[in-house]
Amino acid sequence: MPILNNLMQQLVNGLALGSIYALIALGYTMVYGIIGMINFAYGEIFMFGAYAGLVLALTNYVNVYVALLGATFITMVLGVVIERVAYRPLRRSSRLSALISAIGVSFFLSSLMVRVKGPNTRGFPTLFENRIFEIGDFQITIYQIVIIGVAGLLMLSLHLFVTYSKMGRAMRACAQDQDAASLMGVNIDRVISVTFAIGSGLAGAAGVLAGIYFNAVQPYMGLLAGLKAFAAAVLGGIGSIPGAMIGGLVIGLTEILGVTVNLSEYKDAFAFAILILVLLFKPSGIMGRKANKKV
Amino acid sequence: MSLLTLDNVTIRFGGLTAVDTVNLEINQGEILALIGPNGAGKSTVFNLITSIYQPTEGTISLAGKPLVGIPTHKIAEMGITRTFQTIRLFSELSVLDNVKIGAHCRGKAGLFQAFTRLPGMKREEAEIEEKAIKALEFLDLATKCEEMAKNLSYGEQRRLEIARALVSKPKLLLLDEPAAGMNPQEKVVLMEMIRRIRDTGITIFLVEHDMKLVMGISERIAVLDYGKLIAEGTPLEVRSNNAVIEAYLGSGKFKSRIRR
Amino acid sequence: MKKLLNNWIVQVLLFLSLLGLTAYGSQMINDIIPPYLLMIAFFIGINLIMALGLNLITGVTGQLSLGHAAFMSIGAYSSAIATVNFDLPFLLGVLIGGLIASVFGVIIGFPTLRLTGDYLAISTLGFAEIVRVQFTNMKITNGAIGFLGIEGSTTFPIVMTIAVLMICLMVWLENSRNGRAMLAIREDEVASSAVGINTTLYKIQAFAIGAFCAGVGGALFAHTTTFIQPTDFGFQKSVDILSIVVLGGLGSIPGTIIGAIVLTAAPEILRPLSNYRMIVYGLLLVVIMIFRPYGLMGGVNLRQAVRRAMMFPKKKQAGREE
Repeated sequence: MPILNNLMQQLVNGLALGSIYALIALGYTMVYGIIGMINFAYGEIFMFGAYAGLVLALTNYVNVYVALLGATFITMVLGVVIERVAYRPLRRSSRLSALISAIGVSFFLSSLMVRVKGPNTRGFPTLFENRIFEIGDFQITIYQIVIIGVAGLLMLSLHLFVTYSKMGRAMRACAQDQDAASLMGVNIDRVISVTFAIGSGLAGAAGVLAGIYFNAVQPYMGLLAGLKAFAAAVLGGIGSIPGAMIGGLVIGLTEILGVTVNLSEYKDAFAFAILILVLLFKPSGIMGRKANKKV
Repeated sequence: MSLLTLDNVTIRFGGLTAVDTVNLEINQGEILALIGPNGAGKSTVFNLITSIYQPTEGTISLAGKPLVGIPTHKIAEMGITRTFQTIRLFSELSVLDNVKIGAHCRGKAGLFQAFTRLPGMKREEAEIEEKAIKALEFLDLATKCEEMAKNLSYGEQRRLEIARALVSKPKLLLLDEPAAGMNPQEKVVLMEMIRRIRDTGITIFLVEHDMKLVMGISERIAVLDYGKLIAEGTPLEVRSNNAVIEAYLGSGKFKSRIRR
Repeated sequence: MKKLLNNWIVQVLLFLSLLGLTAYGSQMINDIIPPYLLMIAFFIGINLIMALGLNLITGVTGQLSLGHAAFMSIGAYSSAIATVNFDLPFLLGVLIGGLIASVFGVIIGFPTLRLTGDYLAISTLGFAEIVRVQFTNMKITNGAIGFLGIEGSTTFPIVMTIAVLMICLMVWLENSRNGRAMLAIREDEVASSAVGINTTLYKIQAFAIGAFCAGVGGALFAHTTTFIQPTDFGFQKSVDILSIVVLGGLGSIPGTIIGAIVLTAAPEILRPLSNYRMIVYGLLLVVIMIFRPYGLMGGVNLRQAVRRAMMFPKKKQAGREE
């Protein structure tokens, strides 16, 4: 049954791609949940993570784990700095101002990278040998296993952190009501910084994984990936962490399935078509709650 | 004669019944106040009348015409305008523009008129401006025409909201806590204004916490508690109604508010 | 004298002579300034036309659109198809470009009305990406390779006359019942519908007119560069136009004019630094938002000054203070 095999194969591919989207989507969803803004620059943080991984990987002493951790750390710092400089002064301004500021950051980061590293696509050095496992009739590469594994591990730790740690509880409190949380002694600024750090770190890790997987790193890779991840976050229900994971997987799978049925020229349009449809028919997403309009 | 009729109106948000089978009639030309503890559902009643919310059950009608299901913007055209508990002005626009926008539903000009600027459109503009200035004069804001709405004082902003609601000559004016944040002198002036508005033939339905104001100007008072209408009558009747005293006072610590 | 100025026919004549004067003046400029400067002036005009449209959608009506380049591309391609494939006259092609873009403005306007703020922004962006992918995959547009052989029919007087016409239309619109309704929607949607404004209708109008401007700009662009490809109309182009509007001051027509001049000319003037253009763009957006959230001309009350000069020059102004 070649079609079925092919489908299984595509599901595995879609799962790997979807894990990357899901990691970026988590950042969108966490920040949106807490301060209600779209951090438009997440795609660029993802791109920065990929470059940081690339630079680290090019030094001979580094293995894949160090590259992954290093890139995660660098993007965490980047995320916190961006929030301090470009978003915090605008926290009380209109959402439009904050969104435009975020677009500015996004342009700044991608064009900065064009300046520093050039506009061309760069390959990723081999950090470990790729091997192919045959399971039944389909194949899974070790890269895919690593991506799905690392993404799964990160999501699980995030879930545990948010559910059980003191900081996680503070984050959930802020998402409900910032003023009330601050009256209860939660340091809002710190919670927001931590949120940005975690979200950006996840995006950075996703960047390294994407770099390894596609063997391609490019200054404008963030825009499309970021937008698709945002679509994933909205699809899952923005503000919901499990929603972001599910949304990421759905977007990844649809994209791969679209390629399978010979619509690959349109693959970049799929995520947006899904996004617009979701926004129109179920704006609260798969896992989201419906909010009542307050007057 | 009843102008607005609420018939068995109920709205539920999830498990919460915010307004529970409310029956209420507002008579032509009267001043009716809706009072009740915080969270009793008073503002929700206004939002139901103006179609911002749709009732789960029941009907609302204005002089016999049903209002349920009619979009909010048509409600103003039919003759109901309102103010908001939390002031909702067009804050970056001038005072005059705010009031002119209030006259929107009485204008006719469309894109064609905007781009051709034929004499008819200019006449309409002049009329709107005249009406707006009159409404501002009525609420003692005429000197502030070119000021930005956000730069007005709190009391002035409340009055501007009333002017904006008044300029379209509604049949029914809904005032949602018009005195909130006003000082005692301003409240006295406001009471006088509300009476004068009524004397021009506009029926007034207000939600208010300030008992002095409510008792001073209303002809009838309706009391809402936990979404249910628990009393209705003249200020005197309501003041001595046991259910009302119970709802308001409970432990007795708000006694002063009613007796004042 | 004042009475005469208030006469409709006199006003029409004045308006027509303004357009004539613009055409004549820009023809003079066209003949004397060097081609390089002329090219910059061309693009200032084209960018201004498109930015006026976005200013109406985002600045006046408050609906953030990140897909303006899509309307531009629709105008560019449909006018090019009209003049090249169907041999229609150039100006008719421009009009067709504007109208088709406008139709798409309504189509995108309709569903997005249910969305607000960030969600609207993202779906307009998604729409723009879909349009770009579509143009890349269409035969008639020659896909990714690009549309060749468009005649360079755009002239400087045409660009300038259309720009001045658009400015006038926008000023009139802002000072009409429709314009006020749009401003009200920007300020507070709930209050707007409570005073009887059909928010859906006016948002669609804003989208239709804004998209029309972008379509006309795109058509002029196509007939200036004579060659267009889908990558000309990416997200970056949308942000270029948005920067013009934001830099000038959201909702301010004089601001949009200044923004168009500054942001079109600056990269050319700073040619040695042009590599840093996008970096500076990004920083500029952040810095302006932090220090002047209403843009360069934001809070400068030219609108009222213009209105006084144009509409009610004599009414009850003695008693009012600014």
